Amino acid sequence: MKPEVDQILGISAGQLMTSLVPLLPNSYAQGSSAVLSFMMLFAAQEYERGAEIRATDNAEMRMVLGLLAPIVDDAELKKKLEDAAISTDPSLLISKLNQSNAHLRALLIALHTHLESQGSDAARAGERRIWDVLKASAARRLLNPPGG
Amino acid sequence: MIDELSIRLQTYLAPKLAAPDLVVSDLARIPGGASRETYRFRARYAKDGKSIERALILRRDPAASLIETDRTTEFRAYRAFHELGLPVPEPIALELDAAALERPFFIMEEITDCAVGSILAPDPYGPHREKVGQQFWSVLGRIAKPDPGDIGLGDFDGARDRTTCWSHELARWEKVIDEDESEPQPIARAAIRWLRRNPPPPAQKISVVHGDYRTGNFLVDAKGDIRAILDWEMAHLGDPLEDLAWALDPLWSHGDPAHPAGTVARDRAIAIWEESGGLCAETQALAWWEIFASLKGLAIWISAAREYAEGRNTEAVNAFSGWYCLAFHNKVLADRLGGAP
Repeated sequence: MKPEVDQILGISAGQLMTSLVPLLPNSYAQGSSAVLSFMMLFAAQEYERGAEIRATDNAEMRMVLGLLAPIVDDAELKKKLEDAAISTDPSLLISKLNQSNAHLRALLIALHTHLESQGSDAARAGERRIWDVLKASAARRLLNPPGG
Repeated sequence: MIDELSIRLQTYLAPKLAAPDLVVSDLARIPGGASRETYRFRARYAKDGKSIERALILRRDPAASLIETDRTTEFRAYRAFHELGLPVPEPIALELDAAALERPFFIMEEITDCAVGSILAPDPYGPHREKVGQQFWSVLGRIAKPDPGDIGLGDFDGARDRTTCWSHELARWEKVIDEDESEPQPIARAAIRWLRRNPPPPAQKISVVHGDYRTGNFLVDAKGDIRAILDWEMAHLGDPLEDLAWALDPLWSHGDPAHPAGTVARDRAIAIWEESGGLCAETQALAWWEIFASLKGLAIWISAAREYAEGRNTEAVNAFSGWYCLAFHNKVLADRLGGAP
């Protein structure tokens, strides 16, 4: 599609800020509209990258859950981690990716909590692997502010 | 709607100010955060043969609030610190009965000809950065200085015991996350566990904590003087390091955490605060409170996202907080707890 959605959002945000906001009658309306234009710019970023971010997050969480399942001594949790590690995203719809993401995040929390309660070197190494996944995800999801 | 609100405000204020001829004009909504509706207006009346015009602010409860905050707390904090001579607007009236303006509200003096710094501005104070920094960190020390009981705020919510400040606040914000998270939050949960495993030393004293002392919540005039510290709605009793850590947080550092709040160098900011408040920012304790500050931020942004997503409060600022700020604090906490890349 041309123009693409992110281009439409970006241009619309610029028009809102430069042409329409100055015409608004009070600072509340101006301020709120300026924030709305930021939201449009963020939405433009997310349109381009949203599916990729979620699919990558999910793949990295599956990888670490599978990698660390062997050092988990809780049989029930171990089974859930193994099942999750071999699961796949059935669709690239954002809503479906989010569903998988929430399930995998919940398991990651359970795994992280479990490893923190263990005293072994393998558990400490496992925690570091989890933090690597979390840091990468947080960096991936950071938004670039307008002008940033 | 504005006309009707003006008339109701006029009806309410005239007897309060003993001014039967009082006229409200120029009522207009202004930005003021998501937890209260904020309006500026003029009140004109005669007193002792003189014509008086006062610039005033109305802060009214919204239909739904981001974080449940007590307007009585906010009003009392304004009064206590205004009377102490800090740059705080004079509070005029507090009304808890919804009959007058449909929801509880309070009225205070408007500080005119000032601006707030945007958290997205790269250098919000320009040539006044040094002056603003001196005042910003010094005022924060002065807030921590008085005994809460001596200024009539000893009954504020919060910890009474120096050893429990940290656990009281951690439990408070963990509960917010428990209640408001729309999806699992692995970084917030890991931070909560870390904070609980590594408690800070007892607070050096119990102080009034502003609760949201940062860029965006104070007014600066054209000469670089801080004229008003605003938004006391999250004020409570606790460890004074809580406020210092919140003010130092990278989210309010305009892209340069070495110059927190867009002001002076970090070490200098802390030294000004210590000298002004007669306090010590012990490194390990401050490090705990800085981790906590970013977690508290996450809790607030998680709430904002929930309010917005469920349609209870669709102020644009809630979308911004629940998206940009949430992502920002997740990154800060992941780097701090997981080791910076």
